[in-house]
Amino acid sequence: MIPSLEILIPKSLNEALSILAEQNNGSKIIAGGTDVVPGLQQGSNRFANSDLLIDINRIPEIKSITRTREKISIGGAETFSNILQNQIVQEELPLLWKACSTIGSVQIRNRATIAGNFVNNAPCADTVPALLVYNATVEIESLNSKKEISIGEFLTGPYKTKLNKDEIVTRINVSIPSKEYEGEFYKLGRRRAVAVSRITLAVLTKTQNHMIDEIRIASGAVTPIGIRFFDLEKFAKGKKIEDQFLKELSKMLGEQIIQVTGLRWSSEYKLPVVQQMFYQLLKGIERGSL
Amino acid sequence: MEVRFKLNGKEEEVTTEPYLRLIDLLRDYFNLTGTKEGCGVGECGACTVLINGRAVNSCLVLAGQIEGSEILTIEGLANGEILDPLQKNFLLHGAIQCGFCTPGMVLSASALLDKNPDPTEEEIKDAIAGNLCRCTGYKQIINAVKETAKEINSASKPF
Ligand SMILES: Cc1cc2nc3c(=O)[nH]c(=O)nc-3n(C[C@H](O)[C@H](O)[C@H](O)COP(=O)(O)OP(=O)(O)OC[C@H]3O[C@@H](n4cnc5c(N)ncnc54)[C@H](O)[C@@H]3O)c2cc1C
Ligand code: FES
Ligand code: FES
Repeated sequence: MIPSLEILIPKSLNEALSILAEQNNGSKIIAGGTDVVPGLQQGSNRFANSDLLIDINRIPEIKSITRTREKISIGGAETFSNILQNQIVQEELPLLWKACSTIGSVQIRNRATIAGNFVNNAPCADTVPALLVYNATVEIESLNSKKEISIGEFLTGPYKTKLNKDEIVTRINVSIPSKEYEGEFYKLGRRRAVAVSRITLAVLTKTQNHMIDEIRIASGAVTPIGIRFFDLEKFAKGKKIEDQFLKELSKMLGEQIIQVTGLRWSSEYKLPVVQQMFYQLLKGIERGSL
Repeated sequence: MEVRFKLNGKEEEVTTEPYLRLIDLLRDYFNLTGTKEGCGVGECGACTVLINGRAVNSCLVLAGQIEGSEILTIEGLANGEILDPLQKNFLLHGAIQCGFCTPGMVLSASALLDKNPDPTEEEIKDAIAGNLCRCTGYKQIINAVKETAKEINSASKPF
Protein backbone atom coordinates (compact mmCIF):
# COMPACT_ATOMS: atom_id res chain seq x y z
CA MET A 1 0.00 0.00 0.00
CA ILE A 2 1.15 3.48 -0.84
CA PRO A 3 0.85 5.68 2.26
CA SER A 4 -1.44 8.67 1.97
CA LEU A 5 0.35 11.69 0.60
CA GLU A 6 -0.14 14.80 -1.52
CA ILE A 7 1.36 15.36 -4.94
CA LEU A 8 2.30 18.75 -6.41
CA ILE A 9 3.33 19.32 -10.00
CA PRO A 10 5.33 22.58 -10.22
CA LYS A 11 5.69 24.07 -13.70
CA SER A 12 8.94 25.93 -13.20
CA LEU A 13 12.19 25.38 -11.38
CA ASN A 14 11.59 28.37 -9.16
CA GLU A 15 8.19 27.06 -8.12
CA ALA A 16 9.66 23.64 -7.31
CA LEU A 17 12.53 25.13 -5.30
CA SER A 18 10.10 27.37 -3.39
CA ILE A 19 8.00 24.38 -2.40
CA LEU A 20 11.12 22.52 -1.27
CA ALA A 21 12.31 25.56 0.69
CA GLU A 22 9.01 25.91 2.50
CA GLN A 23 8.38 22.36 3.52
CA ASN A 24 11.34 20.16 3.40
CA ASN A 25 10.40 17.76 6.14
CA GLY A 26 8.12 15.16 4.67
CA SER A 27 8.60 16.22 1.09
CA LYS A 28 10.26 14.06 -1.50
CA ILE A 29 11.04 14.65 -5.14
CA ILE A 30 9.51 12.21 -7.60
CA ALA A 31 10.73 12.06 -11.20
CA GLY A 32 10.16 8.76 -13.03
CA GLY A 33 9.06 7.18 -9.78
CA THR A 34 10.69 3.88 -10.70
CA ASP A 35 12.60 3.84 -7.43
CA VAL A 36 10.21 5.97 -5.36
CA VAL A 37 6.96 4.10 -6.08
CA PRO A 38 8.29 0.59 -5.36
CA GLY A 39 10.03 2.09 -2.31
CA LEU A 40 6.79 3.59 -0.99
CA GLN A 41 4.91 0.43 -1.84
CA GLN A 42 7.35 -1.75 0.06
CA GLY A 43 7.48 0.62 3.04
CA SER A 44 11.22 1.20 2.58
CA ASN A 45 12.48 3.40 5.40
CA ARG A 46 14.22 5.65 2.90
CA PHE A 47 10.77 6.91 1.97
CA ALA A 48 9.12 6.65 5.39
CA ASN A 49 7.43 9.81 6.68
CA SER A 50 6.92 11.21 3.21
CA ASP A 51 3.69 13.17 3.03
CA LEU A 52 4.32 15.24 -0.08
CA LEU A 53 5.67 14.22 -3.45
CA ILE A 54 6.94 16.94 -5.75
CA ASP A 55 6.65 15.76 -9.34
CA ILE A 56 9.45 17.42 -11.33
CA ASN A 57 8.57 16.03 -14.75
CA ARG A 58 7.08 19.24 -16.15
CA ILE A 59 9.90 21.67 -15.47
CA PRO A 60 11.44 22.72 -18.79
CA GLU A 61 14.66 24.01 -17.18
CA ILE A 62 15.66 20.55 -16.00
CA LYS A 63 14.80 18.74 -19.20
CA SER A 64 16.48 19.07 -22.60
CA ILE A 65 19.95 18.16 -23.78
CA THR A 66 22.19 20.93 -25.02
CA ARG A 67 25.62 21.06 -26.56
CA THR A 68 28.14 23.82 -26.67
CA ARG A 69 31.54 23.49 -28.30
CA GLU A 70 33.17 21.78 -25.39
CA LYS A 71 30.31 20.55 -23.23
CA ILE A 72 27.15 18.45 -23.24
CA SER A 73 24.54 19.30 -20.64
CA ILE A 74 21.72 16.89 -19.81
CA GLY A 75 18.70 17.98 -17.79
CA GLY A 76 18.39 16.05 -14.52
CA ALA A 77 14.78 15.10 -15.24
CA GLU A 78 15.53 13.84 -18.73
CA THR A 79 14.33 10.27 -19.29
CA PHE A 80 16.57 7.50 -20.53
CA SER A 81 14.39 7.14 -23.63
CA ASN A 82 14.99 10.76 -24.57
CA ILE A 83 18.71 10.50 -23.85
CA LEU A 84 18.91 7.40 -26.07
CA GLN A 85 17.23 9.26 -28.90
CA ASN A 86 19.81 12.00 -28.74
CA GLN A 87 22.42 11.64 -31.42
CA ILE A 88 24.94 13.92 -29.76
CA VAL A 89 25.02 11.73 -26.66
CA GLN A 90 25.29 8.62 -28.78
CA GLU A 91 28.24 9.99 -30.74
CA GLU A 92 30.14 11.94 -28.12
CA LEU A 93 29.39 9.98 -24.94
CA PRO A 94 29.02 6.40 -26.17
CA LEU A 95 29.67 4.82 -22.77
CA LEU A 96 26.88 6.80 -21.15
CA TRP A 97 24.59 6.04 -24.07
CA LYS A 98 25.30 2.35 -23.76
CA ALA A 99 24.79 2.41 -19.99
CA CYS A 100 21.38 4.07 -20.48
CA SER A 101 20.42 1.51 -23.11
CA THR A 102 20.93 -1.36 -20.69
CA ILE A 103 18.61 0.03 -18.03
CA GLY A 104 15.38 -1.83 -17.27
CA SER A 105 12.91 -2.10 -20.13
CA VAL A 106 11.30 0.31 -22.56
CA GLN A 107 8.59 0.99 -19.98
CA ILE A 108 11.18 1.78 -17.31
CA ARG A 109 13.31 3.91 -19.66
CA ASN A 110 10.25 5.90 -20.74
CA ARG A 111 9.82 7.10 -17.13
CA ALA A 112 13.16 6.73 -15.35
CA THR A 113 15.44 9.77 -15.31
CA ILE A 114 19.19 10.19 -15.19
CA ALA A 115 19.32 12.22 -11.96
CA GLY A 116 16.90 9.78 -10.34
CA ASN A 117 19.38 7.04 -11.08
CA PHE A 118 22.39 8.48 -9.30
CA VAL A 119 20.50 10.39 -6.60
CA ASN A 120 19.00 7.06 -5.58
CA ASN A 121 22.61 5.80 -5.83
CA ALA A 122 21.97 2.10 -5.52
CA PRO A 123 25.19 0.08 -5.81
CA CYS A 124 23.89 -1.03 -9.19
CA ALA A 125 22.98 2.42 -10.57
CA ASP A 126 24.16 1.90 -14.13
CA THR A 127 24.86 5.48 -15.16
CA VAL A 128 27.39 5.96 -12.37
CA PRO A 129 30.48 4.18 -13.78
CA ALA A 130 30.01 5.93 -17.13
CA LEU A 131 29.52 9.36 -15.53
CA LEU A 132 32.59 8.75 -13.38
CA VAL A 133 34.94 8.02 -16.28
CA TYR A 134 33.62 11.06 -18.15
CA ASN A 135 34.40 13.25 -15.11
CA ALA A 136 30.80 14.48 -15.15
CA THR A 137 29.73 17.30 -12.89
CA VAL A 138 26.38 17.79 -11.24
CA GLU A 139 24.56 21.12 -11.04
CA ILE A 140 22.53 21.51 -7.88
CA GLU A 141 20.14 24.31 -7.02
CA SER A 142 18.15 25.40 -4.01
CA LEU A 143 16.12 28.58 -3.79
CA ASN A 144 19.15 30.53 -2.60
CA SER A 145 22.13 28.67 -3.90
CA LYS A 146 23.60 27.08 -6.95
CA LYS A 147 26.66 24.87 -7.13
CA GLU A 148 28.39 22.41 -9.38
CA ILE A 149 30.40 19.48 -8.04
CA SER A 150 31.97 16.38 -9.51
CA ILE A 151 29.87 13.24 -9.59
CA GLY A 152 32.48 11.39 -7.54
CA GLU A 153 32.22 13.96 -4.78
CA PHE A 154 28.42 14.02 -4.96
CA LEU A 155 28.03 10.29 -4.32
CA THR A 156 28.93 9.53 -0.72
CA GLY A 157 27.71 6.00 0.00
CA PRO A 158 25.13 3.38 -0.90
CA TYR A 159 21.83 5.29 -1.29
CA LYS A 160 23.58 8.41 -0.01
CA THR A 161 24.62 11.64 -1.70
CA LYS A 162 25.52 15.21 -0.80
CA LEU A 163 22.03 16.41 -1.81
CA ASN A 164 20.24 18.54 0.79
CA LYS A 165 16.51 18.23 1.29
CA ASP A 166 15.79 21.60 -0.33
CA GLU A 167 17.89 20.94 -3.44
CA ILE A 168 17.27 19.65 -6.95
CA VAL A 169 19.82 18.20 -9.35
CA THR A 170 19.15 20.45 -12.31
CA ARG A 171 21.75 19.32 -14.84
CA ILE A 172 24.55 16.88 -15.50
CA ASN A 173 27.46 18.33 -17.46
CA VAL A 174 30.17 16.50 -19.32
CA SER A 175 33.13 17.93 -21.20
CA ILE A 176 33.23 16.30 -24.60
CA PRO A 177 36.24 13.99 -24.68
CA SER A 178 38.56 14.53 -27.61
CA LYS A 179 38.45 11.99 -30.42
CA GLU A 180 41.57 10.27 -29.12
CA TYR A 181 39.62 8.76 -26.26
CA GLU A 182 38.20 5.31 -26.67
CA GLY A 183 36.29 3.30 -24.20
CA GLU A 184 33.75 0.68 -23.39
CA PHE A 185 30.94 0.12 -20.91
CA TYR A 186 30.11 -3.41 -19.94
CA LYS A 187 27.30 -4.78 -17.85
CA LEU A 188 26.80 -8.34 -16.80
CA GLY A 189 23.21 -8.77 -15.69
CA ARG A 190 20.90 -11.55 -14.77
CA ARG A 191 18.48 -11.19 -17.61
CA ARG A 192 18.32 -9.19 -20.80
CA ALA A 193 15.86 -6.63 -19.55
CA VAL A 194 15.00 -5.60 -16.04
CA ALA A 195 18.25 -6.90 -14.65
CA VAL A 196 19.38 -5.03 -11.63
CA SER A 197 22.96 -5.15 -12.73
CA ARG A 198 25.38 -7.47 -11.05
CA ILE A 199 28.65 -6.19 -12.47
CA THR A 200 29.38 -3.06 -14.44
CA LEU A 201 32.66 -1.63 -15.67
CA ALA A 202 33.52 1.47 -17.62
CA VAL A 203 36.93 2.14 -19.12
CA LEU A 204 38.09 5.17 -21.07
CA THR A 205 41.61 5.36 -22.51
CA LYS A 206 43.84 7.57 -24.52
CA THR A 207 46.74 5.79 -26.11
CA GLN A 208 49.75 6.89 -28.11
CA ASN A 209 52.38 4.74 -29.81
CA HIS A 210 51.21 1.61 -28.00
CA MET A 211 51.45 3.41 -24.67
CA ILE A 212 48.73 4.28 -22.22
CA ASP A 213 48.59 8.05 -22.12
CA GLU A 214 45.63 8.10 -19.82
CA ILE A 215 43.20 5.51 -18.52
CA ARG A 216 40.07 5.97 -16.42
CA ILE A 217 38.48 2.95 -14.79
CA ALA A 218 35.21 2.74 -12.86
CA SER A 219 33.08 -0.07 -11.54
CA GLY A 220 29.54 -0.42 -10.27
CA ALA A 221 27.55 -3.11 -8.48
CA VAL A 222 30.64 -5.07 -7.41
CA THR A 223 31.63 -2.19 -5.17
CA PRO A 224 29.27 -0.65 -2.55
CA ILE A 225 28.84 2.33 -4.87
CA GLY A 226 30.27 3.11 -8.29
CA ILE A 227 33.90 4.26 -7.87
CA ARG A 228 36.99 5.21 -9.81
CA PHE A 229 40.27 3.35 -9.34
CA PHE A 230 42.70 6.24 -9.26
CA ASP A 231 45.69 4.22 -7.97
CA LEU A 232 45.35 1.78 -10.78
CA GLU A 233 44.98 4.58 -13.30
CA LYS A 234 48.20 6.20 -12.09
CA PHE A 235 50.01 2.91 -12.17
CA ALA A 236 48.97 2.24 -15.76
CA LYS A 237 49.88 5.66 -17.08
CA GLY A 238 52.82 5.56 -19.47
CA LYS A 239 52.92 1.75 -19.59
CA LYS A 240 53.24 -0.15 -22.80
CA ILE A 241 50.09 -1.94 -24.02
CA GLU A 242 51.00 -5.60 -24.08
CA ASP A 243 49.14 -8.69 -23.10
CA GLN A 244 51.24 -9.39 -20.02
CA PHE A 245 50.60 -5.91 -18.66
CA LEU A 246 46.87 -6.01 -19.36
CA LYS A 247 46.69 -9.28 -17.43
CA GLU A 248 48.57 -7.75 -14.55
CA LEU A 249 46.28 -4.73 -14.54
CA SER A 250 43.21 -6.97 -14.47
CA LYS A 251 44.61 -8.89 -11.53
CA MET A 252 45.28 -5.65 -9.69
CA LEU A 253 41.70 -4.48 -10.28
CA GLY A 254 40.48 -7.61 -8.50
CA GLU A 255 42.77 -6.90 -5.56
CA GLN A 256 41.56 -3.31 -5.36
CA ILE A 257 37.97 -4.46 -5.33
CA ILE A 258 38.71 -6.78 -2.42
CA GLN A 259 40.24 -3.82 -0.63
CA VAL A 260 37.20 -1.56 -1.00
CA THR A 261 34.60 -4.23 -0.37
CA GLY A 262 36.40 -6.11 2.38
CA LEU A 263 35.34 -9.32 0.67
CA ARG A 264 31.63 -9.82 0.51
CA TRP A 265 29.95 -13.19 0.04
CA SER A 266 29.38 -12.45 -3.59
CA SER A 267 32.96 -11.45 -4.27
CA GLU A 268 34.22 -14.94 -4.58
CA TYR A 269 32.31 -15.68 -7.72
CA LYS A 270 32.28 -12.14 -8.98
CA LEU A 271 35.98 -11.51 -8.76
CA PRO A 272 37.25 -13.81 -11.51
CA VAL A 273 34.38 -12.59 -13.67
CA VAL A 274 35.30 -8.94 -13.14
CA GLN A 275 38.94 -9.63 -13.91
CA GLN A 276 38.06 -11.51 -17.06
CA MET A 277 35.59 -8.80 -18.12
CA PHE A 278 38.11 -6.05 -17.54
CA TYR A 279 40.77 -7.95 -19.45
CA GLN A 280 38.39 -8.42 -22.39
CA LEU A 281 37.54 -4.71 -22.33
CA LEU A 282 41.21 -3.79 -22.41
CA LYS A 283 41.85 -6.26 -25.23
CA GLY A 284 38.99 -4.75 -27.17
CA ILE A 285 40.39 -1.28 -26.71
CA GLU A 286 43.84 -2.57 -27.63
CA ARG A 287 42.48 -4.02 -30.85
CA GLY A 288 40.72 -0.80 -31.68
CA SER A 289 43.75 1.39 -31.07
CA LEU A 290 46.54 -0.63 -32.64
CA MET B 1 -7.79 15.81 -5.68
CA GLU B 2 -9.31 16.56 -9.09
CA VAL B 3 -7.51 15.04 -12.03
CA ARG B 4 -8.32 15.74 -15.67
CA PHE B 5 -6.93 13.60 -18.44
CA LYS B 6 -7.86 11.90 -21.68
CA LEU B 7 -8.64 8.21 -21.42
CA ASN B 8 -9.03 6.16 -24.59
CA GLY B 9 -9.84 9.31 -26.51
CA LYS B 10 -12.38 10.69 -24.05
CA GLU B 11 -11.89 13.64 -21.66
CA GLU B 12 -12.29 12.50 -18.06
CA GLU B 13 -12.36 14.29 -14.76
CA VAL B 14 -12.13 12.32 -11.53
CA THR B 15 -11.79 13.00 -7.87
CA THR B 16 -9.20 10.62 -6.50
CA GLU B 17 -6.59 10.17 -3.84
CA PRO B 18 -3.36 11.41 -5.45
CA TYR B 19 -1.42 8.42 -4.15
CA LEU B 20 -3.66 5.87 -5.85
CA ARG B 21 -1.68 3.95 -8.44
CA LEU B 22 -2.77 4.48 -12.03
CA ILE B 23 -3.43 0.75 -12.38
CA ASP B 24 -5.92 0.89 -9.49
CA LEU B 25 -7.60 3.98 -10.89
CA LEU B 26 -8.05 2.26 -14.24
CA ARG B 27 -9.25 -1.06 -12.86
CA ASP B 28 -11.28 -0.03 -9.84
CA TYR B 29 -12.68 3.35 -10.84
CA PHE B 30 -13.02 2.98 -14.60
CA ASN B 31 -13.53 -0.79 -14.60
CA LEU B 32 -10.92 -1.17 -17.31
CA THR B 33 -9.76 -4.58 -16.17
CA GLY B 34 -7.79 -5.35 -19.33
CA THR B 35 -4.85 -3.75 -17.54
CA LYS B 36 -3.43 -6.57 -15.40
CA GLU B 37 -1.36 -6.60 -12.25
CA GLY B 38 1.40 -9.20 -12.18
CA CYS B 39 4.30 -8.12 -10.03
CA GLY B 40 3.37 -4.61 -8.92
CA VAL B 41 7.02 -3.51 -9.09
CA GLY B 42 7.71 -2.75 -12.73
CA GLU B 43 9.12 -6.08 -13.77
CA CYS B 44 6.42 -7.99 -15.66
CA GLY B 45 4.75 -5.40 -17.91
CA ALA B 46 1.24 -6.86 -17.48
CA CYS B 47 0.10 -3.39 -16.38
CA THR B 48 1.48 -1.60 -19.45
CA VAL B 49 -0.56 1.35 -20.76
CA LEU B 50 0.43 4.15 -23.12
CA ILE B 51 0.86 7.63 -21.71
CA ASN B 52 1.22 10.21 -24.47
CA GLY B 53 2.06 7.37 -26.84
CA ARG B 54 4.75 5.80 -24.69
CA ALA B 55 4.55 2.43 -22.97
CA VAL B 56 4.77 2.71 -19.18
CA ASN B 57 4.09 0.46 -16.21
CA SER B 58 0.84 1.73 -14.68
CA CYS B 59 1.83 0.15 -11.35
CA LEU B 60 4.64 2.73 -11.08
CA VAL B 61 2.58 5.84 -11.86
CA LEU B 62 0.43 7.65 -9.32
CA ALA B 63 -2.94 9.17 -10.12
CA GLY B 64 -1.72 12.58 -8.94
CA GLN B 65 0.87 12.60 -11.74
CA ILE B 66 -1.35 12.16 -14.78
CA GLU B 67 -3.08 15.55 -15.03
CA GLY B 68 -3.33 16.56 -18.68
CA SER B 69 -1.99 13.27 -20.03
CA GLU B 70 -3.43 11.08 -22.75
CA ILE B 71 -3.81 7.50 -21.66
CA LEU B 72 -4.54 4.53 -23.84
CA THR B 73 -5.47 1.15 -22.37
CA ILE B 74 -6.09 -2.06 -24.28
CA GLU B 75 -9.82 -1.25 -24.27
CA GLY B 76 -9.14 1.82 -26.39
CA LEU B 77 -7.14 0.12 -29.10
CA ALA B 78 -9.84 -1.53 -31.19
CA ASN B 79 -11.92 0.63 -33.50
CA GLY B 80 -15.39 -0.22 -32.21
CA GLU B 81 -16.03 -3.82 -33.19
CA ILE B 82 -13.05 -3.91 -35.53
CA LEU B 83 -9.92 -5.26 -33.89
CA ASP B 84 -6.64 -3.44 -34.24
CA PRO B 85 -4.41 -5.31 -36.74
CA LEU B 86 -2.12 -6.25 -33.86
CA GLN B 87 -4.99 -7.81 -31.93
CA LYS B 88 -6.12 -9.69 -35.01
CA ASN B 89 -2.64 -11.00 -35.68
CA PHE B 90 -2.06 -12.03 -32.06
CA LEU B 91 -5.15 -14.21 -32.42
CA LEU B 92 -4.15 -15.54 -35.84
CA HIS B 93 -0.59 -16.43 -34.89
CA GLY B 94 -1.27 -18.19 -31.61
CA ALA B 95 0.41 -15.38 -29.68
CA ILE B 96 -2.16 -15.72 -26.91
CA GLN B 97 -2.42 -18.63 -24.53
CA CYS B 98 -3.63 -17.69 -21.06
CA GLY B 99 -3.86 -14.07 -22.19
CA PHE B 100 -2.60 -12.48 -19.00
CA CYS B 101 0.36 -10.79 -20.66
CA THR B 102 -1.51 -9.96 -23.86
CA PRO B 103 -2.92 -6.48 -23.18
CA GLY B 104 0.49 -5.19 -22.09
CA MET B 105 2.26 -7.03 -24.86
CA VAL B 106 -0.06 -5.63 -27.54
CA LEU B 107 0.30 -2.07 -26.22
CA SER B 108 4.10 -2.30 -26.13
CA ALA B 109 4.04 -3.54 -29.72
CA SER B 110 1.59 -0.84 -30.69
CA ALA B 111 3.82 1.92 -29.29
CA LEU B 112 6.72 0.43 -31.24
CA LEU B 113 4.88 0.28 -34.57
CA ASP B 114 3.58 3.82 -34.12
CA LYS B 115 7.06 5.25 -34.19
CA ASN B 116 8.83 2.51 -36.12
CA PRO B 117 6.49 0.81 -38.62
CA ASP B 118 9.23 -1.42 -40.00
CA PRO B 119 11.13 -2.79 -36.99
CA THR B 120 13.86 -5.42 -37.08
CA GLU B 121 13.49 -8.54 -34.96
CA GLU B 122 15.95 -7.06 -32.47
CA GLU B 123 13.86 -3.92 -32.19
CA ILE B 124 10.73 -5.98 -31.61
CA LYS B 125 12.49 -7.99 -28.91
CA ASP B 126 13.69 -4.82 -27.24
CA ALA B 127 10.21 -3.27 -27.33
CA ILE B 128 8.65 -6.26 -25.56
CA ALA B 129 11.58 -7.12 -23.30
CA GLY B 130 9.68 -5.55 -20.39
CA ASN B 131 6.65 -7.79 -20.98
CA LEU B 132 6.99 -11.25 -19.53
CA CYS B 133 5.03 -14.16 -20.95
CA ARG B 134 5.19 -17.51 -19.21
CA CYS B 135 3.18 -19.36 -21.84
CA THR B 136 4.12 -18.72 -25.43
CA GLY B 137 7.88 -18.60 -25.55
CA TYR B 138 7.63 -15.24 -27.40
CA LYS B 139 8.13 -16.63 -30.90
CA GLN B 140 4.48 -16.40 -31.88
CA ILE B 141 4.29 -12.92 -30.40
CA ILE B 142 7.24 -11.73 -32.45
CA ASN B 143 5.68 -13.27 -35.55
CA ALA B 144 2.38 -11.50 -34.90
CA VAL B 145 4.18 -8.16 -34.63
CA LYS B 146 6.20 -8.81 -37.79
CA GLU B 147 3.07 -9.77 -39.69
CA THR B 148 1.31 -6.59 -38.56
CA ALA B 149 4.28 -4.49 -39.65
CA LYS B 150 4.13 -6.16 -43.06
CA GLU B 151 0.43 -5.37 -43.39
CA ILE B 152 0.91 -1.76 -42.38
CA ASN B 153 3.73 -1.33 -44.88
CA SER B 154 1.96 -2.95 -47.79
CA ALA B 155 -1.14 -0.87 -47.06
CA SER B 156 0.86 2.34 -47.15
CA LYS B 157 2.72 1.27 -50.29
CA PRO B 158 -0.01 0.03 -52.64
CA PHE B 159 2.31 -0.66 -55.58
C1 LIG C 1 11.84 -3.05 -13.05
C2 LIG C 1 12.98 -2.11 -12.78
C3 LIG C 1 14.18 -2.29 -13.44
C4 LIG C 1 15.25 -1.44 -13.21
N1 LIG C 1 16.42 -1.66 -13.88
C5 LIG C 1 17.47 -0.84 -13.64
C6 LIG C 1 18.71 -1.06 -14.30
O1 LIG C 1 18.85 -1.96 -15.13
N2 LIG C 1 19.75 -0.24 -14.00
C7 LIG C 1 19.64 0.78 -13.11
O2 LIG C 1 20.60 1.50 -12.90
N3 LIG C 1 18.47 1.01 -12.47
C8 LIG C 1 17.39 0.22 -12.71
N4 LIG C 1 16.22 0.45 -12.05
C9 LIG C 1 16.13 1.51 -11.04
C10 LIG C 1 15.54 2.83 -11.53
O3 LIG C 1 14.74 2.66 -12.68
C11 LIG C 1 16.61 3.88 -11.86
O4 LIG C 1 17.43 4.07 -10.74
C12 LIG C 1 16.02 5.20 -12.33
O5 LIG C 1 17.00 5.91 -13.03
C13 LIG C 1 15.48 6.08 -11.24
O6 LIG C 1 15.00 7.28 -11.82
P1 LIG C 1 13.54 7.86 -11.53
O7 LIG C 1 13.40 9.09 -12.32
O8 LIG C 1 12.53 6.82 -11.73
O9 LIG C 1 13.70 8.17 -9.99
P2 LIG C 1 12.61 8.36 -8.85
O10 LIG C 1 12.14 7.04 -8.40
O11 LIG C 1 11.60 9.36 -9.25
O12 LIG C 1 13.56 9.01 -7.76
C14 LIG C 1 14.68 8.32 -7.22
C15 LIG C 1 15.35 9.17 -6.13
O13 LIG C 1 15.97 10.32 -6.69
C16 LIG C 1 15.41 11.53 -6.20
N5 LIG C 1 15.41 12.43 -7.36
C17 LIG C 1 14.95 12.14 -8.61
N6 LIG C 1 15.23 13.16 -9.46
C18 LIG C 1 15.88 14.11 -8.75
C19 LIG C 1 16.46 15.39 -9.07
N7 LIG C 1 16.45 15.88 -10.33
N8 LIG C 1 17.06 16.08 -8.09
C20 LIG C 1 17.11 15.60 -6.83
N9 LIG C 1 16.60 14.39 -6.46
C21 LIG C 1 16.00 13.66 -7.41
C22 LIG C 1 14.07 11.14 -5.63
O14 LIG C 1 13.67 12.00 -4.59
C23 LIG C 1 14.36 9.74 -5.12
O15 LIG C 1 15.01 9.79 -3.89
C24 LIG C 1 15.12 -0.38 -12.28
C25 LIG C 1 13.90 -0.19 -11.64
C26 LIG C 1 12.83 -1.02 -11.88
C27 LIG C 1 11.52 -0.79 -11.17
S1 FES D 1 2.36 -5.18 -12.50
FE1 FES D 1 3.31 -3.45 -13.27
S2 FES D 1 5.07 -4.27 -14.14
FE2 FES D 1 4.24 -6.01 -13.17
S1 FES E 1 -0.05 -15.93 -22.80
FE1 FES E 1 0.09 -16.53 -20.75
S2 FES E 1 1.53 -15.12 -19.97
FE2 FES E 1 1.60 -14.71 -22.06
